[in-house]
Amino acid sequence: MKHIDLQTDIGKIKLKNPVITASGTFGYGREFEELIDLNRLGAIIVKGLSLKPAKGNPPPRIVETSCGMLNAIGLENIGIEAFIKQKLPFLEQLSTPTLVNIYGKSVEEYADLAARIDEVEGIAGIEINISCPNVKTGGIAFGVDPESAAEVVRAVRTRTTKPLMVKLSPNVTDITEIARSAEDAGADSLSLINTITGMAIDIETRHPKLANITGGLSGPAIKPVALRMVWQVAQTVKIPVIGIGGIMKAEDALEFLIAGAVAVQVGTANFVNPCSTIEITEGIEAFLAERKISSVRDIIGTLEV
Amino acid sequence: MFQEKNQVLWNENISGSYYKIGLTCNKGYSDAHPGQFITLRFGDDIARLLRRPFSIHRLITKDDCIKGIELLYKVVGTCTQKLSSYKKGNIIDLLGPLGNGFVIPDNVRRIFIVAGGIGVAPMFFLASSIQKTGIDLSECQVFIGGRSKHDILCKDDFLSMGITADITTDDGSAGKKGLITVPLESEIKKNRPDIIYACGPPAMLNAVAQIAEKYATPCQISIETIMACGMGACLGCAVESKTDPDKYLHVCKNGPVFDSGLLRI
Ligand SMILES: Cc1cc2nc3c(=O)[nH]c(=O)nc-3n(C[C@H](O)[C@H](O)[C@H](O)COP(=O)(O)OP(=O)(O)OC[C@H]3O[C@@H](n4cnc5c(N)ncnc54)[C@H](O)[C@@H]3O)c2cc1C
Ligand SMILES: Cc1cc2nc3c(=O)[nH]c(=O)nc-3n(C[C@H](O)[C@H](O)[C@H](O)COP(=O)(O)O)c2cc1C
Ligand code: FES
Repeated sequence: MKHIDLQTDIGKIKLKNPVITASGTFGYGREFEELIDLNRLGAIIVKGLSLKPAKGNPPPRIVETSCGMLNAIGLENIGIEAFIKQKLPFLEQLSTPTLVNIYGKSVEEYADLAARIDEVEGIAGIEINISCPNVKTGGIAFGVDPESAAEVVRAVRTRTTKPLMVKLSPNVTDITEIARSAEDAGADSLSLINTITGMAIDIETRHPKLANITGGLSGPAIKPVALRMVWQVAQTVKIPVIGIGGIMKAEDALEFLIAGAVAVQVGTANFVNPCSTIEITEGIEAFLAERKISSVRDIIGTLEV
Repeated sequence: MFQEKNQVLWNENISGSYYKIGLTCNKGYSDAHPGQFITLRFGDDIARLLRRPFSIHRLITKDDCIKGIELLYKVVGTCTQKLSSYKKGNIIDLLGPLGNGFVIPDNVRRIFIVAGGIGVAPMFFLASSIQKTGIDLSECQVFIGGRSKHDILCKDDFLSMGITADITTDDGSAGKKGLITVPLESEIKKNRPDIIYACGPPAMLNAVAQIAEKYATPCQISIETIMACGMGACLGCAVESKTDPDKYLHVCKNGPVFDSGLLRI
C-alpha cells in the first residue's frame, strides 16, 4: 500500500492525523494509557479545567438514551494548577500535542486561565469552552450570545499567544453568527459541536433521570445536527473548523471531513470502545488507500452539492 | 486493564432470571481481585450505546492457570436480556479488570459476608480469595438475602467451602422470613467478626453500614452506579463522600468497594 499522508494542520498546530480526543471523554489522557498507544492520536484535549478545582453536579450524572447519552457532570475538574503539576508531565513526554479545554464563570476567569497556560510550554493550544450547558453560573451565557462570546475570546486573546480553538454550542438559533463573531474576536480555529441540551424522565417516579434535571446529549443521536452545523460554519469562516458529534467510526469522521472539517474530535465513542480513536484513524487511512487518495487533505471540504 | 474480544465458554440459566456465563480471557486476570468488575459491549448496536458493568464472580482456572472468568448476572433489561441469548463460541468485547476490589487485611480471622440478591456475584470470588490466604473458613459466615427462594444464589458453593450460611427471604420461601440484617446483627452480638464484607441493594448496604458502625466493626461494601466508561474518564459515577465534602468519589475508580464509613449512601 502506498503511503497515505494523514497529516493535517489546525493553524499553527500540526497533527499527524485528524483524530483528536474530545474534552471530558478522555480524562487527562493517562486513563487510556494501558489500552491504546497515545502517540498515535492526532491530539489530546483534556477534561475542561477551571482556575480552582470544581466539585461538579450531584449524581445521577449520566443516563443512556436512544443512540446516545445525557451527561450533567457539571465540569468536575482538579483545577489548572493541579493539572499542570500532576497531569501535564506525563502528557508532555508524548509526541501527541495536548490542548487544554478551559471554562470560567466570568470573562476574567477565562482570561486568567489563559494567562496561566501561556506560561506553560507543554501545552499546544487552548480550547475555550463557551458552550457547556451544565454550569448554571457560567458556560451557556457566553456561548449563545455573539457579543459575550466575542468578549471572552478577546479577553483570552490579549493574555496568550497560544493557538485558540473556540468550542461552539449547538444550543443557538444561528450558529454561523456565533462562529463569525468568535473569528472576528481572534479565534484561530472553531470546534463544534458541544452537547445538545436535553432531558429524560422516569415515568414511574416522575423524577428527572438526572439530578441536574437537564443534561447534554452526545453520541450518534446528535451526528446529523453536528454535521449540518459544521458544514454551515465551514462555509462561513476562513479559520479551520474541527468537527465533533457522534463520531463512532471512520465513515462518520469522513463525513465531517468532506463537510469541511480539517480534523475531528471523538467523544462518547471512547466510552463505548476505548480503541475508537485508533480504529477511526486506521479506517480513514484504509478508505483513502482504497480510493487512491494520497493525502487526507485532498478530501477535506470536498462536498459536492 | 485489557480490552479483548473473548469467547463465550458457557451461558446457563441457574434460577429464575439468573445466569452464569463463562468467558475466555487471555491475559491480565491473574492479578484480578474480588470486587473488581469488567464491562461488556453488546455488539455494534448503537441504540443501546453504553457498556455494561459486571462483577467477576469466579476465575476459571486449569492447572493453576487462568483460562477465563465467570459472571453471575440477572436479566433486568435490554442488554442483560441480550446477554442471556449468547451461545457457546459467540464473541464478546470485554474490558477489565476494573476498579478496586475488597481488601483482606492480614490480621482478620473471623469474616462475615453479606449478600443481597445479585449482590452475591462478587462474594464467591471473595470467599475463594479468603480461602487462599489460609484463613479458617469454618470461622466465617455468609448471610444471603433475597426476595424469594429463586433469589438465593450460591448457597451451596459457600457451604461446600465450609462457610455457614444464614438465609432470609422477603416472602419466607427459603430460610427465615425477613431482612438479612436481622440474623447478621444477632450473630454479631454472639461473636464479633473482625470484618464485614457486603454487596447488595442500597437499602441493605445502608443497614449493614449502620450495624457495622454500631458494633465498631470494619466493613467494606461494594456499590453500583450507572457508568459510562468504567475507567475514570467520564466522571459519571460520582458518589457523595462522608469525609471530604469538596469532592465526589468515583465508583469505577475509587470503588466499587469502599470502607462503609467513607460513603454517604
Ligand atoms: C460495579 C458494578 C458491578 C455489577 N455487577 C453485576 C453483576 O455481577 N451481575 C449483575 O447481574 N449485575 C451487575 N451490575 C448491574 C448491571 O450492570 C446492570 O444490571 C446492567 O447494566 C443492566 O443493563 P440492561 O441493559 O439489562 O438494563 P437497562 O435496560 O439499562 O435497565 C433495566 C433496569 O435495570 C436498572 N439498572 C440499569 N443499570 C443498573 C445498575 N447499574 N444497577 C442497578 N440497576 C440498574 C435500570 O434502572 C432499569 O430499571 C453491576 C453494576 C455495577 C455498577
Ligand atoms: C461525559 C462528558 C463530559 C464532557 N465534558 C466536557 C468538557 O469538560 N468540556 C467540553 O468542552 N466538552 C465536554 N463534553 C462534550 C464533548 O467534548 C463533545 O463535544 C460532545 O460529547 C459531542 O461529541 P460526541 O458525540 O462524540 O460525544 C463532554 C461530553 C461528555 C459525554
Ligand atoms: S464510569 Fe466513567 S468515571 Fe466512572
